[in-house]
Amino acid sequence: MSVYVGKSVPRRDTRLKATGEARYTADLALPFMLHAAVLRSPYPHARLLRVDTSRAEALPGVRAVITARDASGVKWGVFRYTRDQEFLARDRVRYIGEEIAAVAADTEEIAQEAVALIAVEYERLPAVFDPLDAIADGAPRIHDHAERNINIHVPIHVGDVDAAWDACDHVHTEMTRSEEESYFMTEPYAVLAHCDRQGTVEVWMPNASPHTKAKGLANALELPVSKVHVRHVAIGGAFGGRSDMFPGEYITALLSRKTRRPVRLVYTREENSIAVRQGHSMVVESRFGFKKDGTLHAVDVTCHMDGGAYSSTGPIATSVPFLCFEQTYRVANVRYNGYRVYTNKPIRGMIRTHGRAWACNVDMQLDLAAEALGLDPIEIRLKNALKTGDHTPTQSHIPSMASHETIRAVAEASRFREKWKRLPPWHGIGIGCVSVMSGFPMGIRGGSAAMVKFDEDGGVHLISGVVDNGQGNEGVVLQIAAEALGVPIDQIQLTASATEITPIDQGAYSQATTLVSGNAVRLACEDARRQLFEVAADVLEASAEDLELADGKVFVKGSPARAVPLAKVVRSGLLKGKSVIGHGSFGPNVDQRREWIQNPKGQLSAAFSYGSAVVEVRVDPETGFVDVLDVWASHDCGKAINPKEVEGQMDGGVAMGGHGGILLEALRWHEGANLNTNFLDYKIPLAPDMPPIHNFIVEADDPVGPFGAKEGGLSISMCTAQAYANAIAHAIGTHIREFPHTPDRVLDTIEAREGTEDEAS
Amino acid sequence: MSTPRKIVLALTVNGQDHDLLVEPRRTLLEVLREELGLTGAKEGCGTGGCGTCTVLIDGRPARACLTLAADVQGASVLTIEGLADALDGDLHPIQRAFVDAHGIQCGFCTPGMILTAKALLDENPSPDEAEIRQALSGQVCRCTGYAKIVDSVQLAARRLAGEEETP
Repeated sequence: MSVYVGKSVPRRDTRLKATGEARYTADLALPFMLHAAVLRSPYPHARLLRVDTSRAEALPGVRAVITARDASGVKWGVFRYTRDQEFLARDRVRYIGEEIAAVAADTEEIAQEAVALIAVEYERLPAVFDPLDAIADGAPRIHDHAERNINIHVPIHVGDVDAAWDACDHVHTEMTRSEEESYFMTEPYAVLAHCDRQGTVEVWMPNASPHTKAKGLANALELPVSKVHVRHVAIGGAFGGRSDMFPGEYITALLSRKTRRPVRLVYTREENSIAVRQGHSMVVESRFGFKKDGTLHAVDVTCHMDGGAYSSTGPIATSVPFLCFEQTYRVANVRYNGYRVYTNKPIRGMIRTHGRAWACNVDMQLDLAAEALGLDPIEIRLKNALKTGDHTPTQSHIPSMASHETIRAVAEASRFREKWKRLPPWHGIGIGCVSVMSGFPMGIRGGSAAMVKFDEDGGVHLISGVVDNGQGNEGVVLQIAAEALGVPIDQIQLTASATEITPIDQGAYSQATTLVSGNAVRLACEDARRQLFEVAADVLEASAEDLELADGKVFVKGSPARAVPLAKVVRSGLLKGKSVIGHGSFGPNVDQRREWIQNPKGQLSAAFSYGSAVVEVRVDPETGFVDVLDVWASHDCGKAINPKEVEGQMDGGVAMGGHGGILLEALRWHEGANLNTNFLDYKIPLAPDMPPIHNFIVEADDPVGPFGAKEGGLSISMCTAQAYANAIAHAIGTHIREFPHTPDRVLDTIEAREGTEDEAS
Repeated sequence: MSTPRKIVLALTVNGQDHDLLVEPRRTLLEVLREELGLTGAKEGCGTGGCGTCTVLIDGRPARACLTLAADVQGASVLTIEGLADALDGDLHPIQRAFVDAHGIQCGFCTPGMILTAKALLDENPSPDEAEIRQALSGQVCRCTGYAKIVDSVQLAARRLAGEEETP
């Protein structure tokens, strides 16, 4: 019976956030600090002929100006084979916003004025802004190494797709397109860096993996990792947009190294929109084949993603939408060709619902097949959903997956079947399902370790490399530690992130934290318990195996009166020269030979979640406006460590993936210039927009996750998007092939359908 | 760059009187964050789009990033730092409700959200859900989908009205 896990305790960090005490990077200031500003390319593609910084350097108050001449030239890319980005452009710029030079000055205003004084001579080059144009003959080449501008090609083929179509009774081809999304985390990117005369660099910045940042920065600065200290700081959201290395931290550290003073760089909202990461736009062509009974038999998908100017997480980003599909539905024959294409646009990363055109295409295919085969949408999903014990096409074993339970939970609560057949005109109901991985292979940085030590008064210090972007990761490991130790949460102090103290951790991407970091924390606490029991055995004159720890006391099982407080156990140990320090180290059971491009098979993740959502809408045929009446979301997250926090992730997923992703969000462009970089022009859901959300947590007990827990929340963001799209299709009688489904597209689709019907009649 | 002449700005912030020498072009947000070290008000966009800089000026919510400091000469400003009881450090009931009802994730929007909720509850102690959502419509949150923020405001309203005890 768990005492701390599974309880909706308020998060400790929220007390600081409620009072303004929580410090985000831009809130930090160090004595003698300078302010930085960056010169960015105004052109989407150009050669740099001359960069003259002399006037900027002469401006009073300017302390340093840097360009590629000051930089190491080390290129960034997540993989050895994708290192294509210099943090300060050397001879060529490839998107509007690319970093060319930077200034450190006494004030922000002087830094900005100095940036304006840097004279750059450009030779403009032809540019390309669409992935299909970029792969066409004669398109301008963006990187010398990339033929047809193809950055990444992920080819996967399992079974024999070409031979499988003949065995299908229903075969259908679809094409969907989506525009880029923007993260719009409320905190704009910021960096504070300080290089001291010992040669160490301390850095504060919003991030999704302090250890990855430390390594990347150490590489770029040509320092040992031990000299780069990434510090703990409050972080204002990530959603995938803080995941890899950005020029900002390198530039700030370099300016600090040059001036020997702390330097702070705070991005404007516009810089945060264009110079960190954006979502990929996608063009998805799918061919799905089903047997008469609704069994999915063959799938062939080709996807072109607009990757922007550089690789970033390219191979992963190209694969993930396919993986989320193959973890969700069983299919014997499947082929995927994912292409990530270079264009002269800002760099793309993975975003909460990475690939709405991909995910929604799948659910569109399922609904169309159900209709053609005389099944209902629930039946066809139950028939094909993967379950506990199954394998994915690329050979991942699924240790737990309550797919059917989540589908039934939302179908019943929404009275889906009844409404599917009988709703008033222009009303619609739709369902979507998806499975998300709890971590994937990340080589030597794929595991996590933790330590736990004790004060003489019984206080507990947990040391873990976890990072909290707002989703509550710190609270998760505190609850796990309290449970595994048997000590109240309030008695545990957490030191997180700080890379010079904490052992390695994979970071808060691929939804790995709860499972991987959580298990490391659990193991560290179990190790500490063993050591405490050895010490306490002498004090209590009992055998260590007979001891129990609960509520901060060690006692003999069955005789709670024979107890000593934790403080006394710790002090007894210290008298004997034994300081109890628990260690835990955990690496998920994934196939380390699995490689995104060369070898996309083998165990991908230690665990897989599942999410199902049903959405009911009413469409106004005059305006194209979609009124969302209700959302039902059901999530197998394994054991919910903190159910209210899981619900919070689900609610946020509905808002960003479903409501924003399907109804509102898209970047707008003119010749590579992003036109909607602020909150007024890029529409994200506001409080009055959001429909009622009914959450259902389905806890499949996962054998690997700590106390049975796995990924929490992301699957809801994705499956809700799919359900929104299907509900709108049900309401207007046809699917919309372009995302988001803005009112103009809804109206155009209704008109096109009515036109077709007029012709037919 | 020539330094503009400074003006004397008299402000009451969180109950404390200040006479500040500031450049006339400074925004209230700059004065709060840089002159007074009150970093609870955030700059999410600097153009009035997100509401993370919201403070109460004479009890009414305002975008500190769009407010020229010189325009609020003599006013009384409440920031998130002034809401908790300064003497015993206890959270204000609205802050406590946001913590207890899980209305906070990344927390960047929280100060503006809580101060906007305070202005609403001062004027309308028992708002319905639609009134709460309308009052918060200028405050952007990217994490929560607003569901538990609305719960938090409702919980705060019940506690302030004495209908529910704070544990």
